[in-house]
Amino acid sequence: MSLIARFSRSPEGLFGAAVLAVLIAVALAAPLLFPRDPLSIVGPALTAPFTDWALPLGTDRLGRNVLAELAHGSRASLLVGFAATLAAILIGASVGTIAGFAGGLVDEVLMRVVDAFQTVPGFLLALAFVSVIGASLPVVVLAIALGAWTGPARLARAEVLSLRERDYVAAARVIGMHPAEIAFREILPNALAPVLALSAVIVAGAILTEAALSFLGLGDPNIVTWGSMIAEGRAVLRSSPFLSIIPGLALVVTVLGVYLFGEGLSEALSRRQVRL
Amino acid sequence: MTKFLVSRRTLLSASAALLASTALPRLAFGQDAVKGGRLIVAADSEPRNLNPAIVASNGVFFISSKVIEPLAEASFDGENGLAPRLATAWEGSADGLSATFTLREGVTWHDGKPFTSDDVAFSALQVWKPLQNLGRLVFANLESVDTPDPLTAIFRFSKPTPFQLIRNALPATTSVLPKHLYDGTDIAANPANAQLVGTGPFKFTEYKPGEYYLLSRNETYWGEGEPNLDEILYRVLPDRAAAASALEAEEIQLAAFSAVPLADLDRISKVDGIEVISKGYEGLTYQLVVEINHRTEQLANLKVRQAIAHAIDKKFVVDTIFLGYAKPATGIVPQNAPEFYDASVPQYDFDVDKANALLDEAGYARSADGTRFTLRLLPAPYFNETTQFGAYLRQALAVVGIDAQIANNDSAAHQQAVYTDHAFDIAVAPPVFRGDPAISTAILVRTATAEGVPFSNQGGYSNPAIDKIIDDALVTVDEKARTELYNQFQQAVAEDLPLINVAEWGFITVARTSVHNVSNNPRWAVSNWADTWIDG
Repeated sequence: MSLIARFSRSPEGLFGAAVLAVLIAVALAAPLLFPRDPLSIVGPALTAPFTDWALPLGTDRLGRNVLAELAHGSRASLLVGFAATLAAILIGASVGTIAGFAGGLVDEVLMRVVDAFQTVPGFLLALAFVSVIGASLPVVVLAIALGAWTGPARLARAEVLSLRERDYVAAARVIGMHPAEIAFREILPNALAPVLALSAVIVAGAILTEAALSFLGLGDPNIVTWGSMIAEGRAVLRSSPFLSIIPGLALVVTVLGVYLFGEGLSEALSRRQVRL
Repeated sequence: MTKFLVSRRTLLSASAALLASTALPRLAFGQDAVKGGRLIVAADSEPRNLNPAIVASNGVFFISSKVIEPLAEASFDGENGLAPRLATAWEGSADGLSATFTLREGVTWHDGKPFTSDDVAFSALQVWKPLQNLGRLVFANLESVDTPDPLTAIFRFSKPTPFQLIRNALPATTSVLPKHLYDGTDIAANPANAQLVGTGPFKFTEYKPGEYYLLSRNETYWGEGEPNLDEILYRVLPDRAAAASALEAEEIQLAAFSAVPLADLDRISKVDGIEVISKGYEGLTYQLVVEINHRTEQLANLKVRQAIAHAIDKKFVVDTIFLGYAKPATGIVPQNAPEFYDASVPQYDFDVDKANALLDEAGYARSADGTRFTLRLLPAPYFNETTQFGAYLRQALAVVGIDAQIANNDSAAHQQAVYTDHAFDIAVAPPVFRGDPAISTAILVRTATAEGVPFSNQGGYSNPAIDKIIDDALVTVDEKARTELYNQFQQAVAEDLPLINVAEWGFITVARTSVHNVSNNPRWAVSNWADTWIDG
């Protein structure tokens, strides 16, 4: 049975996939739906939602269209979520594979580095990194990846440790393949599946970390993000709570969708392993 | 059994207290000040150096002005807008080379030593002139202070110094320090900068970092029957949203300096027992200003600066960002300085077409994507309103084709970037007008003499004509002639736009109605609160 067929048997996975598909569609279509800068001032300040059909979700304290901000904000959230996860998996899988395959001193050194990173809470690491280097999208991505790569590293190492004793690895050695080639072309592709299953959790975490960073004013102030929208609405929380609730809901739905998608994915992957 | 007796006694005294507390508000109705009680106030920052003679800023005054007093305080009805404090009379000589202060009799420091003219002479020569941020300018030409007797101090200046300036500067710059604690020590590092000793109505009692400052009644205060309160407790509440709910829960009784966000004022003003007061900040007008880096090629062009001024909708800023709690600015001197204010300076009305035309004239045509050029915009992080105005300014400039990229920094990084590194094109700043243009306003446009001084001209602007007016006014003793010079100054600034004044605002105090004598002078939040009282 193919992976897709197995995935489609998990209802939560399908729900997650649907949510993600909608989000990606919104993110891609945002510049077409709302061609103006989402931060431009288009109406009277603090229009309540559902009162003016030109501004269905109302306006914020400066009179900016909340719906346009929400749509454009999804771009930042998804971009940062996926980019940070990609970076974390790339770094983590490489480090884990090298550590697991080389063993000995290299393994010891690399895993102690992983331990060192794991002792610092990922959010604090990101906070320190961004406040020192300065807020911009690539820096935020790197900062989040810095706190997230240790999980994939440990997982990849554990997989590699069990795989490197397999017959096909021994066979590859016998035919004289370079160790690096064995590690990255023979072992890593087989060790990657469980690591990829972890990626959904990392994406969800990265989206939340990005939101928290921009909530604290450490995002790029020239683009709109859901975290900065919540922070902006916080000043009028008592009188116009919708300004914080709407992006907050978007955040909940996104993280939930990504997480459920990941659940479905890891279920589908583990079914395959049972059959092996 | 004994246990029962004790508890019954406690019960009795408690019910007596309860009776008393219901009786007191009725007494209060007659506006007779109630003695005693503790006033709990929100503090939103914790200054490291609390010495107001060195750091003359409102964050420091808010706490220290109750402990250390100036020679005179601002007043709504006093002569020249002043009420006596440590000095009872003051007079400038006709040639502007001396000023005589008669000091108050029978004043003692909190440690029991008498207050004399030696303390004033020491403070003026050793602290105000060399160390204080504002005093450096006001007392620049102070040469010596004569003390013929313990109650007279005569200030002698090397150049004519207008007494109008000295008088206007008295409340903010003349906090008197005890000579016996500071003489011969490293003044900037003296332990008394944290554990204040003064002559004021309250003694500095305790500071717990992150929690509170506690001031308690000075039993030997010179003001008869003052102070009314037993204690003032400043609760550190850095979160602005927390101040509003703390007031509603009666955990605090007063929040000054707009600690309650403007957006919350409308709601909180309807809560029973809470009052929103916009009076009491007339002597501390804050100005919302666009600082301009004249080293940037585009901004050195007057037409571009005029275009930026035309692109800003001051009415929108006042109505939407300040929710009406501000006034549109007309120039560099605010309207509530009637002594100097000149309404006839050139105005830059909100006019997008004119702004676009000016930019075209200046030779910056729109490129294919509609932008003319890109600028770095650094909004000061000190107030909610300054950052919000930064977001607005970016949009207002986008309309006329200027792409302003915002960079958000914390206070330290912002000051470093703007005032030391000059790594900005335009910045948003909230300077303060302190009663006289010479105190903290002229420095915003005068050719810079030192780098790194916050709220001074660090934009590389240099205009010999404006410099000459400022320098002349500093040594013009005749009040009429001096006011005339400052009118020319306002005209010249409005014509050449070294910076753009957008709005001017005072802060808002929110207090429980149980607190009385609030906002009864133009610098109330930073005055001594000796007559403030609360219902028992």
